[in-house]
Amino acid sequence: MITDIALQLGMAAQKYKDKIMYSDSGQSVSFEKVYDLAKRLGTAVAKKKGIRHGIAVMTGRNVFTPAVFLGVALAGCFYAPMDASQPEKRLKDILSVLDTDLLIADSENIERAKALGFEGEILCAEELFECEADDRILAQVQADKSADDPLYVIFTSGSTGKPKGVITSVFSLCCYINAYADVMGIDDTDILGNQSPLDYIAAIRDIYLPVFRGASTFIIPKQCFVMPAELFRTMNEQKITSVGWSVSVFTIAVKVGAFSEGKPEYLKKVCFSGSVMPTNVLRVWQENLPDTLFVNQYGPTECTASCTYYKIQRQFSDDEELPIGTHYKNYRVFLLGDDNSPTPQGEMGEICVSGPILALGYYNNRELTEKSFIQNPLNHAYNERIYKTGDFGIMREDGVLLFKGRKDRQIKHLGHRVELSEIEAAVLRLDSVDEACAMYLKEKELIYLFYSGNAASKEIAVHLRGVLPGFMVPRKLVSLESLPHLSNGKINMQELKEMMK
Amino acid sequence: MKEQLMEILEDLRPDVDFENEKALITDSILDSFDIVSLVGALNDEFDIEIQVGNLVPDNFNSIEGMMALIEKLQDEDQ
Repeated sequence: MITDIALQLGMAAQKYKDKIMYSDSGQSVSFEKVYDLAKRLGTAVAKKKGIRHGIAVMTGRNVFTPAVFLGVALAGCFYAPMDASQPEKRLKDILSVLDTDLLIADSENIERAKALGFEGEILCAEELFECEADDRILAQVQADKSADDPLYVIFTSGSTGKPKGVITSVFSLCCYINAYADVMGIDDTDILGNQSPLDYIAAIRDIYLPVFRGASTFIIPKQCFVMPAELFRTMNEQKITSVGWSVSVFTIAVKVGAFSEGKPEYLKKVCFSGSVMPTNVLRVWQENLPDTLFVNQYGPTECTASCTYYKIQRQFSDDEELPIGTHYKNYRVFLLGDDNSPTPQGEMGEICVSGPILALGYYNNRELTEKSFIQNPLNHAYNERIYKTGDFGIMREDGVLLFKGRKDRQIKHLGHRVELSEIEAAVLRLDSVDEACAMYLKEKELIYLFYSGNAASKEIAVHLRGVLPGFMVPRKLVSLESLPHLSNGKINMQELKEMMK
Repeated sequence: MKEQLMEILEDLRPDVDFENEKALITDSILDSFDIVSLVGALNDEFDIEIQVGNLVPDNFNSIEGMMALIEKLQDEDQ
């Protein structure tokens, strides 16, 4: 396994030359072109910054964003992607955690970047693509780099109200991409259909599978996922063969009856992740695409997007549970009890992961890192870091893992990880709100907010839109005289649960 | 009809100015989840059957587009 992005990208460019590497609805770039752009940007960055330097990247949903990421990697630095459409407050939070002095934005987003009050330097991606590449400088970077250097920092919801940045190394990324490609059988005949926002963890497959396996990636326009009639048509136009999408996309397509007017004819390899796939939705996809491989993937960002996979070989009935399967190559997955003892087979325990795919921790947050990534309590012989996922599981007799829910108030909503307490912290910043409790109605995929105080629901909705990403804003706002309490003073969530029905 | 429609929309997304927004889909103001809820609510309220083929940006970018769609589907029904 090659553990060097520069080398891997160089080889791909040499082998695939003018074959399309990334395309979107407006333009496409070849392997050679991406390599050229990345080298130019990489040289410019390397001239300015030393190796292992963190760089914020704010670029649009188009073919040049992966080239920016790869360019930063060629400079031996790591990138923190930021979605410009997120509220200013969140972007500022990310910048404050990142504490960097360099932000790269494309011309579409540079004004927004400048308005964030960022004190470091802001460079324009298009201008960096014009710089001259210097092979000598890039070779020196490559010689100085190490496989465990950070590659990117991806931000996810944090329970204290501030997003946390998960740091992934080059080596972790290589392990996951190779393991995924082997399971799914991805090769250079594949055309991947990207759904995930490019700043989000699930996009790493769409960005790096072309680098590692010579596949092409088409970045599907965002509006196709809102208007499913356009989705299948676009997929057929682009002859998309493989997708790795969040479960919500599959669910919505079925809900609006997308199969009544056609199907994605070329689609042969499907991976879904992000939340539990309803078996009735999966059956509709299986019936319409009987020759397609369906794989259920499970795993958090802290383990490079994944842990386990399950190849679905048959149809599952409504009352059957879809397993999350077995570990990918280079992942160790096991269960621990509350007292850190090994969980016997067939009993419930917390899903724990170790291996070279573990994140380097949370950026600029030693305390949380040390709490979340710990020495394996079962290993007294040598250093072995593990990550406790906070998810419960049961190991079946045949070694297949079943998912049994969360131990805290983190939910998965539309494929995104959401800490309900982060929503509450944001609501409580309004003076007109006294108390607030966010709840999740899983069956309807609805986030509820119960609150007391004299705030109008419109005021809260507008406020939340201004500070949280859209998917975190509750769809149901319920004003109460006062919130129900238990005798110990805590909010009575059981009673609120009843009110959601 | 416009009043009923506005009521549904404001209930769905109180933070959006539906009178003036003309690119609800193209500018990603409504997301896929909004659309699924909206389709269900419109079907119930106006006794229509929105098909997947109707789910194109023109029909949902503005309240005018939505009203035109509802009228068209109601006419087809008769």
